[in-house]
Amino acid sequence: MIFNFQRFSTHDGPGIRTVIFYKGCPLHCDWCSNPESQAFGPSLMYDRKLCKSFGDCLKQESNYLSAGENGILIDWASVTKPEKLKDICASRALTVSGEEKSIGEILVEIEKDRSFFEQGDGGVTFSGGEPLSQGPELESLLEELYKLKIDVAIETSLYVSWENIERCLGRNINFLVDLKHTDSDKFERFTGGNAALVLSNIKKLAASRENIIIRVPVIPEFNHTFQEIKEIVDFTVSLKAVREIHFLPFHKLGSAKYEMLGMDYKYSGIRNLDVAEMAEYVVYAESVGLIAKIGG
Amino acid sequence: MLKSAEVSERISGLREKVLSTKPNVCTERAMFYTQAYAENEEKPIIIKRAIALEKTLLGMTIFIDEGELIVGNQSSSHRAAPIFPEYAVDWLPEEMDSLDKRSGDAFFITDEHKKELVEIAAWWKGKVLYDKGRALMSQELRDLQDSAIIKATGNLTSGDAHIAVDFYKILDVGLNGYLDEISLFHKQVKRYEQDGVRKDHFYTSLSISIKAFQAFIRRFQELAMQQAEASTNPERKNELLAISNNCQVIAEKAPENFYQALQLVYFVQLILQIESNGHSVSLGRMDQYLYPFYKKDIQTGNLTDEFASELLESTWIKLLSVNKIRPWSHTRFSAGGPLYQNVTIGGQTTEGLDAVNELSFLILHSVGKMKLTQPNLSVRFHKNISETFINECIRVIEKGFGMPAFNNDEIVIPELIKLGVEKDDAYNYSAIGCIEIAVPGKWGYRCTGMSFLNLMRVMLASMYDGLDKYSGKIFYKGIGNFADFNSFDELYKAWQHQIKFYAQKTVEIDTAVDTAIEEYVPDILCSAFVDSCISRGKTIKEGGSKYDFVSGLQVGIANLGNSLAAIKKLVFEEKKITKHELLQAIESDFEGKEGEKIRYMLLNFAPKYGNDDDYVDLLLRDAYLDFIVELEKYHTTRYNRGPIGCRYYAGTSSISANVPNGSVVPATPDGRKAFTPVAEGSSPSSGSDVLGPTAVFKSVSKLPTEKIMGGVLLNQKLTPATIKTDEDKEKLVSILRTFFTDLKGWHVQYNIVSRETLLAAKKDPEKYRDLIVRVAGYCAFFTNLSPDTQDDIIARTEQTL
Ligand code: SF4
Repeated sequence: MIFNFQRFSTHDGPGIRTVIFYKGCPLHCDWCSNPESQAFGPSLMYDRKLCKSFGDCLKQESNYLSAGENGILIDWASVTKPEKLKDICASRALTVSGEEKSIGEILVEIEKDRSFFEQGDGGVTFSGGEPLSQGPELESLLEELYKLKIDVAIETSLYVSWENIERCLGRNINFLVDLKHTDSDKFERFTGGNAALVLSNIKKLAASRENIIIRVPVIPEFNHTFQEIKEIVDFTVSLKAVREIHFLPFHKLGSAKYEMLGMDYKYSGIRNLDVAEMAEYVVYAESVGLIAKIGG
Repeated sequence: MLKSAEVSERISGLREKVLSTKPNVCTERAMFYTQAYAENEEKPIIIKRAIALEKTLLGMTIFIDEGELIVGNQSSSHRAAPIFPEYAVDWLPEEMDSLDKRSGDAFFITDEHKKELVEIAAWWKGKVLYDKGRALMSQELRDLQDSAIIKATGNLTSGDAHIAVDFYKILDVGLNGYLDEISLFHKQVKRYEQDGVRKDHFYTSLSISIKAFQAFIRRFQELAMQQAEASTNPERKNELLAISNNCQVIAEKAPENFYQALQLVYFVQLILQIESNGHSVSLGRMDQYLYPFYKKDIQTGNLTDEFASELLESTWIKLLSVNKIRPWSHTRFSAGGPLYQNVTIGGQTTEGLDAVNELSFLILHSVGKMKLTQPNLSVRFHKNISETFINECIRVIEKGFGMPAFNNDEIVIPELIKLGVEKDDAYNYSAIGCIEIAVPGKWGYRCTGMSFLNLMRVMLASMYDGLDKYSGKIFYKGIGNFADFNSFDELYKAWQHQIKFYAQKTVEIDTAVDTAIEEYVPDILCSAFVDSCISRGKTIKEGGSKYDFVSGLQVGIANLGNSLAAIKKLVFEEKKITKHELLQAIESDFEGKEGEKIRYMLLNFAPKYGNDDDYVDLLLRDAYLDFIVELEKYHTTRYNRGPIGCRYYAGTSSISANVPNGSVVPATPDGRKAFTPVAEGSSPSSGSDVLGPTAVFKSVSKLPTEKIMGGVLLNQKLTPATIKTDEDKEKLVSILRTFFTDLKGWHVQYNIVSRETLLAAKKDPEKYRDLIVRVAGYCAFFTNLSPDTQDDIIARTEQTL
């Protein structure tokens, strides 16, 4: 299931890229900037700003929508089958995120910007959510793209079983691997996942001679200290096969979406990090022989 | 190469002076023209006009300001607009008292001048082009114009222009060269032939005009000399002596160096704008015709880049000091009052090589440093254009004053050749005015800007059996009412039926306008500088030019596509809206809750042009083609009189005409509210393109651009932060390359988004859904962000600009 095709993306791999956002993620990081990507099924989103109280959504049968003072009230806990509310709201205040797309449909979307990829190594980036948690169709899609000679990158946390990774290999894919933390306790507290699986997958992937770039979301209270970043960098260096690391400063571009999903945003009170605050990390990473960049 | 961002003290002083001068009105030209016309009433019009120009050039106030390096003034002070009473003058006494209160383009005017103007206006009653042109039109054509479905008022009140003359030749043969050529042809006139008398007068008027031009230059030669003699500052004395010497040379001969060449170019540019009232008089490919002078001077050590740049900057200030006053009805169509004096750089040589040279960079940087509205700088893009040059262009764009714009050789040149333009000429095209194109010195007037056709009024008329609800008139009986249509096809046929009629009417109006201009305000000097007027013995309007292609302007492109798509999809295919509901909604301007809901359905449930969606893009293409194919059947008034072509093509370079054109259009089926602006040029409706710039490029390139040689205007918004880093700039260049090289885009220009725009977007997200901003290295749509993040970006935009 896909929730967005983002064209002219300039920060998710080289050149001009179309990013395909898959829905569903085995983690739930507290700072996640795409909270709508976490659930594997469709998600209901409600943007009160846009609501004109046309009331068409209330006419649909549901046990979780009711009229409110300005706009509607949603009982988020009881939301089921939100897809039936798709294209009901004329003002697009109430929308449903996530749609099943066939490989053919996805290829049509990719084809649209293909002429832009060719100038300067652009291509397709699979993101999410966790693209590697998708079913086997992903492999067929990757095969198609490989045949079409379209550059592919995958943004992944690698928090998936090795088989899911393995079946993608051998197609000259650029893996943009999120390495959030090396400490298992912190990793679990902030993401709900297991660092060991991630670290072991990275090692295996590095050993299989794939192109890997390590991307570190730099998150206040989580890993934004020199010591913690140093450990991530040191781990990266130890992989030998990985030459490049990117630091992605924390931002709150997704904050509005938490509200739209009826979710809690633990990072609402925290400020965006500045590019300048990454300087120290870049200096260190370069000092140990990595190519370091800020942002994608 | 000179790159310093600083301008000299002299330049910043001159710049400040012109910028801080409040535009006023100068009556000198009006007085001289009125006198000349009154004293020579019996003479043929062409002689009368030559005498009037002569009288003005000899009699008008001239001045050289302290510090000026390039000299020549259009009227008695900087930024004072001369009056061209022979075009239209009635409006002046009427608007006189409100001139200084206009919301844009205000002028102040003294009581004394007001009195003079009243007298002048009285003398011209019934004699002006506007009245005579209107009189040539049938009642139907006048009604069409009054209804504002077709607008051509500006062409009668302001004349033509939209032209660049042959600067190569001017710099090569000098003004005496023209006199020689004129006398050569004058001698051959067969006065016993029907055409002989007319030609005789034409050549007489040409030599009066050129000689008057020479005398005008000599006046500056003398003035500079007098000032030099009086000057106590030895440095300035030398400068004035140089100016005087320059004038002495170029009054007669071809310029000997870069400085003289530039001065002569400016004089020509200036006189053309004293002779005639049109705007978009353009300078053509300045980095090409001036290059030999530049190169020679640099090689011999007679010129430094610093001084060359200072001279260019002086010229830009001079261009800005030229001014024009237009009636409010016309001013509204071209906001900000610019004169669109275009300078084109880059492009290819006639051999197809990259034409970018050191002077291209100097011009680019000098314009970038000045940040003025003049000249209007265009860069001709082609696939082998210097990478460094394009990168520098992006840096200038980043400064946020909208320049340079890009035109694309990869489509323009092959299409010109297909139209019958010779290869060497096609490779030498330049931008005129804002985005339109012509071959300098070989093209007739008005490569664009003939009648403005309001497409949405036509589209609405096709829904009401031909009734134009706004004026209450049926100009052309339709084939039925939308309320009775059973398929989209019927509506589409109704559109085809109506648009054919209106296409023909635009040509009828143009024909009347051209006939009037030819007869009542022939331009002489301008004709001298356009190939082959002298050898044919004809003014441009009589068929003197080598080529003749013109375009009117069609306004409301995106709205047309979006309206058709919305009706097709929501009314006929998905049946989400009934015909009755739609009619009710647009007739009531989406009144009430139901109306508003219909509006949102139209906005949100139907595909929109600008998102690379074939559904709407191809529908628009076809609907526009219905107009274009019809238009191509007609010829201009010069047909069979000499020029190659004499044909019409489409054009969308409508500048800010989308605002006044929208102000006379009721609510439309694309969800647009009544009387609000329609979409600009060929750009998507504002805020409707939500997939980013590549999707916009794709949509625009699906238009039949090869047939829209009057210009495919695309304005894109950029926030400063999205092109901050070198990598960002590279990516912008990369999509430009794809747009131009692969997709054969026609034109693009960038507006750097200001803080005000962001504030407006926060308040009114619907209109700004296309705004992309950047936070912490990520790009996002501004209107999707939470209010605090928006505030943060707004605060930071203030810092960067
Ligand atoms: S891994 Fe990425 S998509 Fe998944 S929850 Fe974490 S931040 Fe969100």
